Amino acid sequence: MGMTLPTLDLEVHDEVQGGPELDERKGIAGRSPARIAFDRLRKDWVAVVCFVVILFFVVIAVFAPLLENLFGVSTDTVLASTRVDLVTGLPKIGPPNHGFDPSHPFGVAPADGTDNLAVWMRGCRTSLLLALVATVGSTIIGVVLGLMAGFMGGVVDAIISFVIDLFLTFPFLLAALSVAPILNERYATEPEKLGNVSFYVLIGILVFFGWMYVARLVRGEALALREREFVKAARVIGVPTRQILFKEILPNLLAPIIVSISLGLPSYVALEAGLSYLGIGVTGRESWGVTINTATKYWETYPLYLIEPVLGIAILVVALNLLGDAIRDAFDPKTRR
Amino acid sequence: MRRKKALVAGISAATLAIALAACGGGSDENGGSDSFSNVEGAGGKNPEAQGPAPDVPGAQTGGDITVLAPDPDDGPTSLDPAGLWSVTDNAIAQDLLFRSLTTWQQDPETGEYTLVPDLATDLGTPNEDFTEWKFTLKDGIKWENGDPVTAEEVAFGIKRSFDADTFATGPGTAYSKPYFDGGDKYNGPYADGDNFPAIEVDGNTLTFHMSSPFPEMDYYGIFPAIGPVPLDAKAPDYGLHPLSTGPYKIQQYVPNQKLVLVKNDQWDPDTDPARHQYADSFTFEFGGDPTVAAKTVESDSGSTTLVTNVEGQDYTAAKQAGNDQNMVVGPQPCTSFVMPNYTKVKELEVRQALAFAYPYEDVWSAAGELPGVTRANGVTDPDLGFGLLPPGMAGRKAWNPEIDGETIQFDPEHAKELLKKAGYEPGEYEVSFVYDATTPQGKAGAEQRKLGYEQSGFKVKMYPYTAGSLYDVWTDPENKLYKKINLLGTAWCQDWPSPATFLPPILETGAAYNTGQFSEKSVDDEMDRIRTLPVDEQADAWGELEQTTMTDYQPVINVGYYQGIFGVGSGIGGFNNDTTVGGAPDYRTTYVK
Repeated sequence: MGMTLPTLDLEVHDEVQGGPELDERKGIAGRSPARIAFDRLRKDWVAVVCFVVILFFVVIAVFAPLLENLFGVSTDTVLASTRVDLVTGLPKIGPPNHGFDPSHPFGVAPADGTDNLAVWMRGCRTSLLLALVATVGSTIIGVVLGLMAGFMGGVVDAIISFVIDLFLTFPFLLAALSVAPILNERYATEPEKLGNVSFYVLIGILVFFGWMYVARLVRGEALALREREFVKAARVIGVPTRQILFKEILPNLLAPIIVSISLGLPSYVALEAGLSYLGIGVTGRESWGVTINTATKYWETYPLYLIEPVLGIAILVVALNLLGDAIRDAFDPKTRR
Repeated sequence: MRRKKALVAGISAATLAIALAACGGGSDENGGSDSFSNVEGAGGKNPEAQGPAPDVPGAQTGGDITVLAPDPDDGPTSLDPAGLWSVTDNAIAQDLLFRSLTTWQQDPETGEYTLVPDLATDLGTPNEDFTEWKFTLKDGIKWENGDPVTAEEVAFGIKRSFDADTFATGPGTAYSKPYFDGGDKYNGPYADGDNFPAIEVDGNTLTFHMSSPFPEMDYYGIFPAIGPVPLDAKAPDYGLHPLSTGPYKIQQYVPNQKLVLVKNDQWDPDTDPARHQYADSFTFEFGGDPTVAAKTVESDSGSTTLVTNVEGQDYTAAKQAGNDQNMVVGPQPCTSFVMPNYTKVKELEVRQALAFAYPYEDVWSAAGELPGVTRANGVTDPDLGFGLLPPGMAGRKAWNPEIDGETIQFDPEHAKELLKKAGYEPGEYEVSFVYDATTPQGKAGAEQRKLGYEQSGFKVKMYPYTAGSLYDVWTDPENKLYKKINLLGTAWCQDWPSPATFLPPILETGAAYNTGQFSEKSVDDEMDRIRTLPVDEQADAWGELEQTTMTDYQPVINVGYYQGIFGVGSGIGGFNNDTTVGGAPDYRTTYVK
């Protein structure tokens, strides 16, 4: 058997044999992995539905104040007696004992009469904002450290890997539990600041204890990519390290990073609700977890009050998770659909 | 008894002392009664009372009773007599386990409570100015192991109550140490030895020497701390397996979880004018799920079960389903106050305006209470008024006057007028308070309060507090939040049905729970004068003082008398409200039908 240069062979084959029409072939040749994945996603109806659902929540979160005006509701405190039957503590307008009330489409809260829809939309805003910022933050830190560890290797890798392991051993809940009282003490006399500070500190904690997973993933991929021919070739011809990292390696890491983002979002949404339920989450802001905490006591007399935030979390988390799965499948060349 | 967690402090009626009271009589007749007015009187004395206790009509012996004291009531951490000072724990200890010098006896006909001798032969003999008391012990009182109870053991038990380190939560800190001669320096037999001359033992007679007149030593005798403890009892461990002198003894005790009591065959009913031995056993379970407890009696699956506290939501749920026949509503001898800092909120009109600016029912509702059911005052029933003393207190008259032509209620316009009278335009006067932010209900209640104040022309600043009890802030002038706020508070319960356990702690200059720093020489002098009056004139004098102080100074704003909800299984008979202990089931009269 004689040695032939495959490229040459291909060229000859192309030019002589023709094959698919030129336009079409150019289209195929020019498609990046991301492009392929996106085309696959578009054809996946589960992904499309989930995307629409998530878009719906995002619109609510972004335009919450406008939507409140549109529905004529607000989170302002009203005198309880104007909306709540003081004998039972249940609303005297809307559910559960009266018909649908258009001025309060989701009903009002028992005991204090706050509008449920307004609180629900603000809770959605809190959830998504926190999840988004926390995910972006932990991804950036994770990618930077993972890339450094994987690409530089040696002492740097050893140190970063050790730090990753160290952080993985910290009990996250314990940290969240211990930080809240410290903040409350520090900002006790400035309640206006406390609300914002506690929100961003919570994000900080989530990022602080969330970046390791991305970092480990990226480090592993970077380790493998470093040994690939195109990276070695780039080094040989003297491409600067920064350029190798961002132009050669990072684009090939896009798939795992997008997947980790899409799976990280729902876990942060659930985590926020869980922490707020425990009373160590956001203070001074509406939150689904806080509403659930209050509403469990009313399950029997006013089930809708509990169902609303539970449905919000459930639908959002399921949609985010399914979309995340679909994205992962779409990026995986081995998937057959 | 003792301080309560304030209304503003959150949803749970009280974490320090949880117990609810009901009106006298059987449960069936009183089921669902929402009224505060039928509180049984208490406070009379009968030094001649003899055992056995008068029979409860229809009472039967036998059967086992289960008592659920749900979360946040953790029950006793220790059953040491010297450390018991909470409603739930004292009800169990005083009714079933420990005998003391005196106790309360209920008249089965009227439901009224009378102070009677218990270990002592009478209610004690004071000298002229109540600085010396003599008690003689009955013969034939035995420990559960058959040993006789001696005067030395009673003296030892009382001396232990001076140990403020070991029994920091005990009543000795409030009564033994201040009133007994040299009590402030004596720290109990473990730290300072057995030599304490203020308590003398001579044969069967105990003599107490007081440092200042203490006419209510006989009432103080109801505490288990004023009873016997074996001379070889070790300080902290004794509370885990104390010896009983009452009709029941401990079979099993897991602190904060479970307590099983069975009949004590060494208890002699002929020596005891107050207690019975109807049921075979009592099983107490502490800190369980409140909703589960409420369901147990609602469904009557536990027909011989008592629940010490049913939460408002569970009561509403049962009521809506028509299943509240096993739930009984009754008052507790406690009052919750907002206390304007007397040195900062100087104008009487402003303090009066605050009374009209508080949206009582809205705050209660938002905080998870049921107005008129678990909280009440003149807003829900004008006969209750807005005074200091809770219903049922001797000498009490409801205080519900017209202030500038209006009786107190949430009335923002009238509040603005009063503010104007004091020289303030709307939005000028700033009030500030701290609230319990650990629960959504605590926050919701505070938001209502803020709104009410704002509508009434105040500028409002409120501070969340999550680090612990609001009393940490209210009682600590060094606290940084304390320096920021001008509205404080207290919720106070009686120790016995005498205004002397209520007015001085709230109104006297420098009293620990006078968190508003109220101080008027004329009021202090009047309190000193009343203490020297003949005993039978004191109650009315205290009642008069309450009226004049409220009218002249409005030192506090009454933000609700406490009332609670019991669960009483259909198989329980003889259920009674024991307001003398602070509002708990009276286990002495309870039997299985």
